[in-house]
Amino acid sequence: MATEREKVIPSKYIPEVGSHTETIDGKKYLITNDAMYTFYRRTKGEFSDFFLALRDDKRLLGCKCSRCGLVRVPPFLTHCPDCNFAPTTVVEVEQVGVMNSTPPITYFATSLFQHIAPYGRGRVIFKGADTAMSVLLYTTTGILVPGIIRKGTEVKLVFNDERIGDVTDVFCVPTAELRKEQIEKKGLQRSEIDWESPAEPALPAASDADVAACRDTLREVKAIIEEMNRNERARKDIADWKRDILVKTRGAQFGIYIGGGNIRFEETGPASPDFVMVCADPRTLLDGLAYRGAITDCVINKKLWISKNMEFNTIFKLDRMARSVARSKKG
Amino acid sequence: MSKRVGIVGAGVTPFKGTWREKTYYELAQMAAREAVADAKIAVQDVDAAFYGIYNDIFERTAIPEHALHGLLGMQNKFGLRVTMGGATGAYTMSAAHAYLAAGRFKAALVLGVEKATDCFDFASMSATPEVIKSIGWSGDSFFEQPIGWSASDSYAEVVLAYMDEHPGDLKPEITAQISAQLSRQALPNKYAQRQHDQVTPEEVLNSRMVAYPFRELEICVYSEGAAALIMAEEKTAKAIAKNSGRPVVWITGVGEANEHSFAGKNQKVMSRIMSDYHASRRAYAMAGIKDPTKSLQIVELHDAFVHQLEISMAEFGLVPLGRADSLIEDGLMTPGGRYVVNPCGGLIYCGHAVGASNIMSAWSARNELINRKLKTALVHGTGSTVAQYTACMILEHA
Repeated sequence: MATEREKVIPSKYIPEVGSHTETIDGKKYLITNDAMYTFYRRTKGEFSDFFLALRDDKRLLGCKCSRCGLVRVPPFLTHCPDCNFAPTTVVEVEQVGVMNSTPPITYFATSLFQHIAPYGRGRVIFKGADTAMSVLLYTTTGILVPGIIRKGTEVKLVFNDERIGDVTDVFCVPTAELRKEQIEKKGLQRSEIDWESPAEPALPAASDADVAACRDTLREVKAIIEEMNRNERARKDIADWKRDILVKTRGAQFGIYIGGGNIRFEETGPASPDFVMVCADPRTLLDGLAYRGAITDCVINKKLWISKNMEFNTIFKLDRMARSVARSKKG
Repeated sequence: MSKRVGIVGAGVTPFKGTWREKTYYELAQMAAREAVADAKIAVQDVDAAFYGIYNDIFERTAIPEHALHGLLGMQNKFGLRVTMGGATGAYTMSAAHAYLAAGRFKAALVLGVEKATDCFDFASMSATPEVIKSIGWSGDSFFEQPIGWSASDSYAEVVLAYMDEHPGDLKPEITAQISAQLSRQALPNKYAQRQHDQVTPEEVLNSRMVAYPFRELEICVYSEGAAALIMAEEKTAKAIAKNSGRPVVWITGVGEANEHSFAGKNQKVMSRIMSDYHASRRAYAMAGIKDPTKSLQIVELHDAFVHQLEISMAEFGLVPLGRADSLIEDGLMTPGGRYVVNPCGGLIYCGHAVGASNIMSAWSARNELINRKLKTALVHGTGSTVAQYTACMILEHA
């Protein structure tokens, strides 16, 4: 979560001073590492009561128009524009609400949010409110996939144990995944919820036929990876990227190695992989590499398991390489 | 009494994923040179400049237009920058139209330009996460930026809310067909970023999920490039056209609307793009269009996402809400259908150089009206969070 960062700008995002050249049509162009940055001591102004209530009291506040009675959460304003700026008063609302609409789920996140992807962000109308508040959405059952949270799904506001007075102090989970006492508790904290930790899936025992079929598939995987490595467009997709990947399937383990602008298949997997992929049927991975479906979608649909969500980054690059090879074949 | 305003010149640069060879100074001048050459005038004949530049971060400078003014030969003349999210280009044309119609100027340069992929994420060693992060600074900074607001997820909110109301519409096989058609339409467009990237519906359906429900091949690409128009009031426009031999394409209607940023009672209706609805109706009213299904032949709309293209067409009144798939199912936008939609390939295949995109759309609509000898086109721009901003223009070719 963003709240765990120690610096306003984490050091991993900060490049070293430097430059390089790129040659296009025989001419060199100079490209320089650079940044635009501004630091703030920024006031939360009229929102201070709202954020302090989240942080210190685990309460959710809104504002109620003294004339029309509309309750806005969060309390965006002190005077109601619908009533010629009649004053509003602060009210507290409940910590259970319903989804205003089906929320999107972001898989390919901005550079600031890759560490929490995939994530859902949606709008909840809490009981006692008339307007919707944007919140992060989680499921206790692992990766959030479409269908778990929809329009009208009842959700519960949950508070992080460590809070800083920011909207990231809270998130929502479906009440269907909570016990009655958790739903009813005001100020429910993250640590009071049972989170399922997705463990590496066990693969079924492989028969001789499985092993033989796997061997055939791996030959195809190897051929495709070699084709990717010969393809200039695909190699650009993994420029400056390094990963040693251990792949486990029913019938075999192997390695995919990315580094130095190259990708290669080896029958021996890395002893210290950057991450592990597990797919019962090796054709799942083969189809993705062959551009017959996206590997990203296989992760989402739980046909392929990865040991670190952050490695969606690498999965995207593999999908990109598959598309680059397909594009090159079109001319 | 306001004056008639028309387009008498236009030019674009190639839209590319990255222009290592050019800064935005040179891209701007390239498009401006093309536009004045097309109008057969000198830039000295122009007495005002309107700049559409969306994002200071992309250009890596605040007030990025200041450097352009003198470099474009506009020293000591009027200059105004417009920035309105994705609708920047459309609003820039709207602003120029208002000043010209008011008689403030005779001829104006309308210039959109954008860099993007100079932004670079050193953690993933790729540009796109940093590009979309830069756009992410556009979300509400107190309640939404900190929890991952992005352009994709905010438009996805609208699309999913529409699908909540109309579960049988925006079917994946239809969005895939639209994307494939747009890819084919880009083939003759030598300025298109993806001119040679023709895809099949199957490829679209197989492309990876970026933000549910959007797949990679249903989303516009980030581009760098520029587009420029020469717009003029009636008397000047006619004189320029007489000299250039290119007919005036008249701007007969303009309409704009901005919705509420936040959802709920009395605020944004998440399942609608009311900005598209109101802006198009205002443009129709100004142009005297009673039934757009009979009047409009070309639609150059801002297709940030295929699903949004479909909803926008419904909000324009060109297909019923809940029946946007009829664009394909009833052949309304397929070749030979009632509407020519994004003949340039749209922002998904021609590209999305944000400040320039809607101006590129106007460039395309003007070319199509003249070349196909058609009469009426709608040009559209959408932008900001949850499709909040819209500007529309009606172009007519006598």
